[in-house]
Amino acid sequence: MIKYIVSALVLGIVVGYLNSNWGSVDAGFWVSDYVFNGALIVLLFVMGLVFGLDKESVSKMRKTGLKILVIPLAVALGSILGGTVSALVLGLDVVKTMTVTAGYGWYTLAGPLVGQLFGAQWGALGFVVNFLRELLTIVTISLTVKIDKYAPIALGGATTMDTTLPVIVRYCGSDSLIAAFSSGFTLSMAAPFTIMAIAALG
Amino acid sequence: MLYLVVPLVIGISFGYLLRERRKVNLGKVSLGVIIVLIFSLGFGIGSNGPLLRSLPEVGLDAVMILVFVLGFSVVLVWAAMKLVRWND
Repeated sequence: MIKYIVSALVLGIVVGYLNSNWGSVDAGFWVSDYVFNGALIVLLFVMGLVFGLDKESVSKMRKTGLKILVIPLAVALGSILGGTVSALVLGLDVVKTMTVTAGYGWYTLAGPLVGQLFGAQWGALGFVVNFLRELLTIVTISLTVKIDKYAPIALGGATTMDTTLPVIVRYCGSDSLIAAFSSGFTLSMAAPFTIMAIAALG
Repeated sequence: MLYLVVPLVIGISFGYLLRERRKVNLGKVSLGVIIVLIFSLGFGIGSNGPLLRSLPEVGLDAVMILVFVLGFSVVLVWAAMKLVRWND
C-alpha cells in the first residue's frame, strides 16, 4: 500500500510543479484546496464511521480517557528539546531553532511565522523542517509503526489531525483515530502560541 | 478547524448507531480517497515555489534538526504511554 501512497505523493508534486510553471492558477487552486479538503472531509467521516462501528475501539478509548492528552504534550516537549539539542550540535541559534521545531510539522504556519520573526533564512528553515516532518511521517510509516504503535503519531506532530491521519489510521488501526486526531488538534492549536512564546525568549 | 471535527463526529455517531447492523467494509473506499488526498497534498507542495527553492539551501540542516526532533518525540511519547499504562 505504501508504494501507492508514495507514488501519489511524487506524482502530485510533479504535476503541481508543472502546473504552477506552465498550467493554470485556477486548476492549481481547485486541486490543492477543493479536492484536498473534499477528500479530507470524506475520509474523516469514513474513519469516524469505522471507529464508531468498532466496539473495541470505543471501549479502548473509554479506558484511556483524558490520559490520551499526554501524547501531544510529549510530542511538544520532544520537538522543542530536539530543537535545542540539534542547535547545540549544529552550532545554530538555540531560541530560533526551537521556534522552527515548535511548528510540529505545520509548515504553512511555521515557515511564514518564523520568517516574519527572524527573517527569510529562518523562515526557509521553518518551512523545510516542518515540511520534511510531514513527508517523512507518510513515507516511513510502514517502518515506524513497527517501532511503537504511537511512533507515527509522534512523528506526525500537528499533521495527525488532517494530512497524515488517514495513513496513520490505515497502519495503526481504527483505535488510533482519537489518539492521533486529538494529538494533531492540540498541537495545531498550540503551535502559534509556542512559536511566539519561545521567540519572546530570544 | 471546526470543519474537520464536524465530519469526524458525524461519522462516529453514525457508526455508533449502525453498530448492531451488519459489518461494512470501507477499506477499499478509504484507500482510493487517501490516494486522492495524498495526490492533492503533493500538488500543493509542487506548487509551493518558495518551499521548493529553499530546499537545497537549508535541506541538510533541516534533516539534522529533524533527526533529533523525531528521536526525542518518539522516545518521550513511548515513555509517556508506558507511564500511563503503568498507572492503570
